[in-house]
Amino acid sequence: MAGGSKPPPLNQRSNWHGVLLAMDLIFTNLVNGLMLGALYAIVSVGLTLVFGIIKVINFAHGEFLMVAMFLVFFATAYFGVHPYVTLVVVLPLIFGLGMLVQRVLIEPLQDSDEHIMIFATVGLSIAMINLMLMLFGPDIYSTPSSGLRTVVDMGPAMFLTGQLNILIAAIALVGGIHLFLTRTQLGRAIRATGQNRAAAQLMGINVSWVYMVTFGIGVSCVGLAAVLIAPLYPTSPEVGQYFVLLSFVVVVMGGLGSISGALLAAMIIGIVDAFAGFYLGANVKDLVVFGIFLLVLIFRPQGLFGGARNMSHVS
Amino acid sequence: MLKLNNVTAGYGSTTILHGISLEVNEGEIVTIVGGNGAGKSTTLRTISSLIKIADGSIEFEGEDITKIPAHKIVERGITMVPEARQLFPEMTVLENLQMGSFTKVARPHYKEKLDEVLTLFPRVAERLSQGAQSLSGGEQQMVAIARGMMACPRLMLFDEPSLGLAPIVVSQVFDVVKKIAASGTTVLIVEQNVFQTLQIADRGYVIENGEIGMSGPAQELMGNDHIRKAYLGI
Amino acid sequence: MSSNQTSPTAPAIFRFFGVDNSADKRGALYVFVLLAALLITPIIVGDDFVYHVFITICLFAGLSTAWNIVGGYAGQLSLGHAMYYGIGAYTGMILVNAGITPWIGMFVGAAVSAVAAALIAYPCFRLKGPFYALASIAFLEVFHVLAIEMKWLTGGATGKMVPLQIGWEWMIFTERLPSLVIAFGMLCFVLAVAQVIRHRRMGFYLIATRERESAAKAAGIPTIKVRIYAAALSGALVSMLGTFHAMYLTFIEPDSAFDLIFSIQIVLFALVGGIGTVFGPLLGAILLVPITEISRGLLGASALGLHGFVYGVILMLVVVFMPDGVVSLLPKRARKALDPEQFDDTSGQPIGDTDLGQQQLDPIQTKARPPLGDEVLKVDDLVKNFGGLKVTQHVNISLRQGEVLGIIGPNGAGKTTLFNMLSGFLEADSGSVVVMGPDGKPHTPKGVADFVSLGVGRTFQIVQPFAAMTVEENIMVGAFYHHPDVDSARRVAGEIATELGLGRFLHEEAKNLPIGGLKRLEVARVMAMRPRILLLDEVMAGINPSDLVEAIRLIKAIRDTGVTIIAIEHVMRAIMDLSDRVIVINSGAVIAEGDPESVVRDEAVIEAYLGKEAGNAEA
Repeated sequence: MAGGSKPPPLNQRSNWHGVLLAMDLIFTNLVNGLMLGALYAIVSVGLTLVFGIIKVINFAHGEFLMVAMFLVFFATAYFGVHPYVTLVVVLPLIFGLGMLVQRVLIEPLQDSDEHIMIFATVGLSIAMINLMLMLFGPDIYSTPSSGLRTVVDMGPAMFLTGQLNILIAAIALVGGIHLFLTRTQLGRAIRATGQNRAAAQLMGINVSWVYMVTFGIGVSCVGLAAVLIAPLYPTSPEVGQYFVLLSFVVVVMGGLGSISGALLAAMIIGIVDAFAGFYLGANVKDLVVFGIFLLVLIFRPQGLFGGARNMSHVS
Repeated sequence: MLKLNNVTAGYGSTTILHGISLEVNEGEIVTIVGGNGAGKSTTLRTISSLIKIADGSIEFEGEDITKIPAHKIVERGITMVPEARQLFPEMTVLENLQMGSFTKVARPHYKEKLDEVLTLFPRVAERLSQGAQSLSGGEQQMVAIARGMMACPRLMLFDEPSLGLAPIVVSQVFDVVKKIAASGTTVLIVEQNVFQTLQIADRGYVIENGEIGMSGPAQELMGNDHIRKAYLGI
Repeated sequence: MSSNQTSPTAPAIFRFFGVDNSADKRGALYVFVLLAALLITPIIVGDDFVYHVFITICLFAGLSTAWNIVGGYAGQLSLGHAMYYGIGAYTGMILVNAGITPWIGMFVGAAVSAVAAALIAYPCFRLKGPFYALASIAFLEVFHVLAIEMKWLTGGATGKMVPLQIGWEWMIFTERLPSLVIAFGMLCFVLAVAQVIRHRRMGFYLIATRERESAAKAAGIPTIKVRIYAAALSGALVSMLGTFHAMYLTFIEPDSAFDLIFSIQIVLFALVGGIGTVFGPLLGAILLVPITEISRGLLGASALGLHGFVYGVILMLVVVFMPDGVVSLLPKRARKALDPEQFDDTSGQPIGDTDLGQQQLDPIQTKARPPLGDEVLKVDDLVKNFGGLKVTQHVNISLRQGEVLGIIGPNGAGKTTLFNMLSGFLEADSGSVVVMGPDGKPHTPKGVADFVSLGVGRTFQIVQPFAAMTVEENIMVGAFYHHPDVDSARRVAGEIATELGLGRFLHEEAKNLPIGGLKRLEVARVMAMRPRILLLDEVMAGINPSDLVEAIRLIKAIRDTGVTIIAIEHVMRAIMDLSDRVIVINSGAVIAEGDPESVVRDEAVIEAYLGKEAGNAEA
């Protein structure tokens, strides 16, 4: 969002791009795009899940990522372990925080106007950013990279091991959530609740518990993302703002509530991002991404892939 | 089996039920009839705990269930087939039925219940893998009833099962309700369609402005002048 | 409470601002006192910081009130309003640098903003709630990037100073008082605009569109146009305040001019005060601005993030505990005085159906039925498919003036789809709908507005009341179609309500009516538009059997005034009693047509719809 800090470019393209052929350049940007896309996907999955089930657009989604990244930073520093190991601490804490927010902030507002819900999560977002600003200042905290910034050089394609891990994790996460939602009893209960809350209650489903779990899972996705991202990107109170706007782009483009749609959209946005960033520069790249976002919102508000699902947001 | 003592309830600050008392005995078909907004659906929703009760108490099989949350009510053996079907639209018919037996109590009986339900509704059996959304209104109502049966209820609440259905489907729905009752499940049914409901019911309550105005055996109510005028239009 | 008898003695200027009766006058007094305090307090105290706080209050109250026209009245939650503020600020600054006074720059900026707002509103009109908010954030972000990129015009990311030319001409002063006077004057102007809009037809139209868009369209409201109008007006007002603020701060940069947090602050004051109310935003700003400005003044930069944190927490607390804002905490009398339209206090007891059934149900004197006139509607070979699904197959209908046509058929047969095509909500794949206009010539209308202008009115199967409005206001929305003036619309609404037995509930909020009453309200709203052809979609469903007789009588009375009626019904008694002709639709095609008696004996109809026993039982 306005004034949000932009993560620095990961690769030193400028040193070698001149000598490569155009094909190689395209391939390089494609791989970069996929890596970026994986990053956006892993941040967005939870957002789309929460919307699909609870019908809440969590404007504070990015702030959960930010808080989780701080947790990773401090856990790594305090215990001196590999950042990935901190998952065992970060995940339960973020899950719990998510459940708490659902219980005390979202649930009481469940039946109010949608504008109320927007303000609730916008308020949460502002409060979280500024709380962290008060506690830690506007400084940048760098989690040790622990070897995750090692460059994997595959001809024209160059990326970091940490990035590859994000790609693998994003695909695994999307697959895992899909299996969870379709194959387990709890997953089915979550879907049922998302489709018809009153009927779900009549089936004996504890709806408010399901909502808490869903919100918990939704923000746990960024918990996982934080563990993977923190070694690669610097942590600051405003880091979430940068990612969350892109998440909105991805989630709307993928069709709200659609997990697989989000993965696909994230890849598209990642690739667009990589190419536009390379050829047009950072600021204009933002124009391109937001331009696409607005076009999707206006012309395909149901997302690029789905049919007329989840059209509750347009009349 | 079910007993409502002076139940007062409503939405927000509006009170809809003003001290309702009624009783359903095991094996009966009991109906609540009344005009729109009189509080029929509210009564059912209060029993299934979708609405919080303001005053009074509800007993089921001798136990107080006034403060039990909605999802626990189902476990006790009370299932409601809600107004306007309320299926899970993006699930298949089979998944809808699976959700029906979600409770710990019902889950072990899933297989046998499924067989029972599919025998009763051959049309539903044909459409198991179809999305619930793609069914016609009548078929959806059948799935809704089947889904309700999956929870192994001892008392089934029907909220306006004939609403919005073509007359030919309405009589099919009433046939099904009769069959369910015949198989030993107690039925409490709320209906606009006073004539057909009273025909299948044992007893009836007439609710007016959130209060019980009249009650008695169904045949007697059907013969009552006031009812004939107000609800049957005769 | 019978405020529909507006006192004709109220001076014209009062009535212009929607101040009609004594309660309104009391409200006007409260507002006057509040505003006077805003101006006088800093003059008395005379401290520069106090001046600054009050100028900031005026600024934010103005911004928030202007936002409220879009965000509150029209219900479109823009989180991007800083973009108009930024446009105003930059336009003013750029023009001052070119030697043009901000008094002109202000209006140039307003014009630019109005155009930008209209251009943004047009494609976004379909988006609701969070999606409109997201789109507005994205637009804000686009302007932010543009302001950084267009260095030649804006000075780029580092921002630009306004040349320090002192004096009224340049809106820059060494004293604080003139700035306060300007800010205060602008606030009063914005408040006046907001108040006038709210109490005019436009205000009703905006709120109706917010509450139920399709019902608003059916009532003849050009929903897109009113939203664009509101957006442009709101953007222009915000922009003017932006120009002023740029001169007051004498420095602007993209990060602060196009700031999301600034946008959110604007909304916050409206929320805290009471969204959608005329004076809520003012109250919100008066309450919150001093807190934050004083804490900023006292703690300064040492408490980075503190005031943002406080805002965030206040936002959450307000939505959880006081979602209707401070206005809702005021005593009822004050609330009512401040905003009579919003807080009609006659609501209370739920209305039982018997109330509705028994009271003043003595509608239109039954006239003798006029003979059928000429053909007024001709539907020719209408076809509509949804994907592979044939929902309307080669339907032909011909209807004469004053005729009642019943449409029956199983659920999902395509009856409502047919209605949607007969009222312009859906376009047919092929075939035509020809409506004979009041001019006696045949027309082929396209779109809802066309149909409405030819006198085609409809109700909705699922009732669509404007929930936050009273019964009277609901009917007024329909009446505005022929009576743009509030007073005469109110009079017409009163008459129709009485005719339809809703007279006693005139000042009841629509959401408190029972279903039978809502169905009647639907009919009343359409009748207020004086339709020539009336499409009734299941208006009998869900009403008491005892009320059925009355409802049938009502529709006959409407018919006898010469209105042509098409009714979709499941209630066979009503169909049999009302219809001159019945058509039966199954799977999108007409399977039978004729007089009611012969249709119910038709084999195909019994098979598809009625069922052997049911036919007898109901009849």
